[in-house]
Amino acid sequence: MTDTSHAWLDRIHAFDFDRTVKIMNVCGGHERSITHSGLRGALPEWLELIPGPGCPVCVCPEEDIYQAIQLALQDRVILVAYGDMLRVPVNVPKGTVRTLAEAQAAGADVRPIASPTEARLIAQANPGRQVVFFAAGFETTTAPVAALLAEGIPDNLFILLSGRLTWPAVAMLLDSGSPGFDALVAPGHVSTVMGPEEWSFVVETHNIPAAVAGFGTESLLAAFYSVLRQLKSGERFLDNCYLEVAHPGGNPTALRMMAATLDVVDANWRGIGTIARSGYALKPAFAQHDARLRFADHSAPERRRAGQMPPGCDCANVVLGKIYPNQCRIYGRACTPRHPIGPCMVSDEGACRIWWAGGVRVAADA
Amino acid sequence: MNDTRILLAHGNGGRLMRELVTDVFARHLGNALLDTDADAVTLPSFDGEPMVTTDGFTVQPLEFPGGDLGSLAVHGVVNDLAVAGADPRYFTLSALIEEGLELAVLDRLIGSFAAAARENGVAVVAGDTKVVRRGEGGGLYLMVAGIGVKRARTKLAIESIAPGDAVLVSGPVGDHGIAVMLAREQFGLSGELRSDSASVLPLARAVRDLPGLKFMRDPTRGGLATVCHEISRACGHTVTLEQDRVPLRPEVVSVCEMLGYDPYFLACEGRIVAVVEAAAADAVLACWRALPQGAAACRIGRVESGEPRVILETPLGGRRVLDELEDDPLPRIC
Repeated sequence: MTDTSHAWLDRIHAFDFDRTVKIMNVCGGHERSITHSGLRGALPEWLELIPGPGCPVCVCPEEDIYQAIQLALQDRVILVAYGDMLRVPVNVPKGTVRTLAEAQAAGADVRPIASPTEARLIAQANPGRQVVFFAAGFETTTAPVAALLAEGIPDNLFILLSGRLTWPAVAMLLDSGSPGFDALVAPGHVSTVMGPEEWSFVVETHNIPAAVAGFGTESLLAAFYSVLRQLKSGERFLDNCYLEVAHPGGNPTALRMMAATLDVVDANWRGIGTIARSGYALKPAFAQHDARLRFADHSAPERRRAGQMPPGCDCANVVLGKIYPNQCRIYGRACTPRHPIGPCMVSDEGACRIWWAGGVRVAADA
Repeated sequence: MNDTRILLAHGNGGRLMRELVTDVFARHLGNALLDTDADAVTLPSFDGEPMVTTDGFTVQPLEFPGGDLGSLAVHGVVNDLAVAGADPRYFTLSALIEEGLELAVLDRLIGSFAAAARENGVAVVAGDTKVVRRGEGGGLYLMVAGIGVKRARTKLAIESIAPGDAVLVSGPVGDHGIAVMLAREQFGLSGELRSDSASVLPLARAVRDLPGLKFMRDPTRGGLATVCHEISRACGHTVTLEQDRVPLRPEVVSVCEMLGYDPYFLACEGRIVAVVEAAAADAVLACWRALPQGAAACRIGRVESGEPRVILETPLGGRRVLDELEDDPLPRIC
């Protein structure tokens, strides 16, 4: 906690709003930082911070996770995935393998990684094996997958891509007419890759204040102050409170590699449904490395229906910022980090997990 | 011995095994009480209340910056005795060796075990070796039983902890967990952070007779937060940690930020967490800080009345529950 943070807090407290102001964030990193530092308690009561669609694990379609589990179990591939994907349960009958971690325990070769470089190394170290990289994530984690493809991918490495773009989910909320927030704090790392201007539609089309923020409390508080001042003064602009990292135009190398290797396609978001042009797929030139084409499709068509969350689980509404995590009917009751039911309680990027880890034990009315 | 690697024959009870015991184990560990031909050994009578503990050790890689399996095993057992108020005296050592382990590596690890034992005034008085087939062991597992003599004049008891007591730590936490992770080059990370693997005996001796000291424990697996949970469960009160007072090295902070780990749950191998009456905190800290190993010692929290749980107080005044560790920590997407 720096003096600057206290200075931002003082300036925010100096505003006199006579109504509730809701600011949405769309990044699990932001929500972690907010919750773990106790920012909500330090801010004025009229200010609500709403976690929005910021958890790639939470929106990863159930059928993709099911597919990954089956590839590991039945096709005997080495299945590499980001660590927090290993614990997300799929909807299968009791007694069958529900997660990649359970597949690992059942003898499948499942390996958690933290970067695509490791996927490459594992493929190179096992030339006789087929390696499938289950790449779920937003733009930030999809960019290194593009680099992997662009820079020459080992012959035995295949990608099960479940990449998503962040802004289309926010656009969908805004287009719905009832977005449920007055201002947006845009994700810092996504802006670093894609360029902050990707978020200008929030201001220009919807007249909603927006500011890009980093992960420190200082940058977040600066962004809150910026959007509150915009609300007060009536002026609108996309502010950048992560100047040192998020540059205009984003990361040109990453953008070039993504354009060369990936197509933007309509994509399913778990529990939410299909959002137009919100997902990434490998370009046809990389078909030989596309796990979806290379391996048998294990996902039955009935798995593909939208809205598929376990019974009672309100993850979809949590992801969309419609309710707070503790307003879910099963939060802290049937669904805890020990026995997660919905994906939001699994990932460290998931709002439910973050709130639980942050000490929120009291259920609230929806 | 002319072989360069451990063979199954090193465990068959014959010549190779005898050579292994003589040339590696007895050569490093030899002392007046160790008789490799005897089935059991008589110990001299103790000049105090004897205390006993046992532990098994495994680590990958077997050698890492700041330590290795050999010294780690000695420190682990010495530390359990030390925080209980004892001076360590005698160890037994049982080694499960995996077929294929390089003899040079085994020799280094047992040499390191012997050196650490000597430094802490410990004699290895009995031992055993077994060889398991390739693929059935992690190179080398060490099982150690330790006998010590109680030296603390006051009774250290977790039940005596009460609201108002202060929680202290003898140095930065999480170093071992991150050092081992970096040594494995796991998650594409590498770095030079050294494990904190060390004997805490000097730290424990320095404070064990100070009035007001109630409890000491060496955080290992599960880290600082897990020790705090043990304290909280045993005394039935809330343990509150102040986030900006918990000493953390910058390397630990940055790896944790990258992977989404909580440093409070990462393993340590050379620290003490102590609970003391608030009035005695400064005296304990002064003793610790006078030792090189305790230079960064500080008061990190307090015991408060309330339900048994562990709270992390953030600099902004937020209060975060540190839950008991559930899963193995896994790196997050981002």
